[in-house]
Amino acid sequence: MQALRTAATGMAAQQLNVEVISNNIANMNTVGFKRQSAVFEDLLYQTLEQPGAQSSDQGNVVPTGVQIGAGVKAGSVYRITGQGTMTNTGNAFDLAINGQGYFQVLLPSGETAYTRAGNFSTNDQGQIVTADGYLVQPTISIPANTTNVTISQTGQVQATVGGATAPTVVGQLTLATFFNDAGLDAQGNNLFKESAASGAATVGNPGNPGFGIVEQGYTEASNVDPVSEITNLIVAQRAYEMNSKVVTTADQMLSTASNTKT
Amino acid sequence: MDNAIYVGLSRQIILERELDIAANNLANVDTAGFKFEEMINNADPTSTPAPGGGAPTPVTFVADGGVARNFTQGSLIQTGAMLDVAIDGRGFFQINTANGPRYTRDGRFKTDPSGKIVNQDGDSVAGSGGDIVLDPKKGIATISPNGVISQNGETVGKLSVVDFDSLSALSKVGANQYENASNLTPQTSTTAQMRQGMLETSNVEPVRQITRLIEINRAYDAISTMMDTTAQLSSSAVQRLGAVNPT
Repeated sequence: MQALRTAATGMAAQQLNVEVISNNIANMNTVGFKRQSAVFEDLLYQTLEQPGAQSSDQGNVVPTGVQIGAGVKAGSVYRITGQGTMTNTGNAFDLAINGQGYFQVLLPSGETAYTRAGNFSTNDQGQIVTADGYLVQPTISIPANTTNVTISQTGQVQATVGGATAPTVVGQLTLATFFNDAGLDAQGNNLFKESAASGAATVGNPGNPGFGIVEQGYTEASNVDPVSEITNLIVAQRAYEMNSKVVTTADQMLSTASNTKT
Repeated sequence: MDNAIYVGLSRQIILERELDIAANNLANVDTAGFKFEEMINNADPTSTPAPGGGAPTPVTFVADGGVARNFTQGSLIQTGAMLDVAIDGRGFFQINTANGPRYTRDGRFKTDPSGKIVNQDGDSVAGSGGDIVLDPKKGIATISPNGVISQNGETVGKLSVVDFDSLSALSKVGANQYENASNLTPQTSTTAQMRQGMLETSNVEPVRQITRLIEINRAYDAISTMMDTTAQLSSSAVQRLGAVNPT
């Protein structure tokens, strides 16, 4: 009986759905996190009678055909890269991107990773680093004795050193954009790597056409909406239950068939 | 007398098929753009000649007439993704796959590394003037209700939405897509409205499907009882007729 296997595909799909939703909820307070959504597609159809097939020599056509589906599969899990809300932190090295773009981060392996989590700080040499201590690219060093750091919306970093009255420019932050940023390869720790699906990075200054602006003293909260995630969770649980009902029904029918007296 | 068992069997085979269809509907309760299906049953009348040349006994078997697809609109939900597009009204997006054009109401699109609008499997989404390519430097794309895509006020392309005279003649091929297997002429849809940032959910009504499950289960049970009764009838007939006449 096909129904048993069909219901199993439905249960497996909803299980994946719950996993994706629970990851979204777990990362509700992760800076720069983008929520994900599972894509479901129907499986192949077994065609018992082709729709539009001729049923006689006179050109009569079968109006509907008989096609029986084999269930559902998870096509992909895609990332919804909508803007998260800005949270004011007041920290001079907390940066949020308003619009398109990613900060570039140098991994210890020498590779470049990309992130929207701008909760940066400085290391012992005054360089701007991520929460994990990875260097933000291009490397910007804040001189010793700096009293005040200002980062403009276009990414210019200015520092007021010692007793100076005017700030001096110490660096320029750049952002990277991608044709398809939903295709970036997630690495954990809020980091992404370039992939064949994302396309190559285009680097430019914040505020240029197609690039977002940088807001100092803010972090970008995750774009997870708890209410819609909880609603999705309820839908997924009910769908799982309904598929298990199909299993019960198919089981009862098989039991009826095998208990037929002969 | 055996006919009763065979008529019951023909109904049970169809009931199993109906259960398969209800199971597929329920498995796709969360599949974007999915349209639920139901079995159409036909009566298949035949007759058997009565022994001894009397009037023939009418016997009606149950046969499958086809699978009807219910194309009512699924409800629209907001996703907020820029390239999620729902169709409100009749029509399908055209996807150009390696196996020819396919039609779908699942509008979860994305861009490929070159900026072309593609579906989740990477096949290009047809525009009325060919592929639609976005320029990421121009920022957010806006999709108007008639399908025109613009970036920064400039028109980039127009989503092609087609409709067919007979929707049931389309053949399902999986992956939320339909194939135009009967070579109908696609027409440009005039009534469809595009909704950006939204998705059309499956139109499966869970209550209806669960009710179908119960119906199917009970009908199967009832026929099984009928077949048992018929079998008992013939076995008791054999016993009585075969009994040695007591002296």
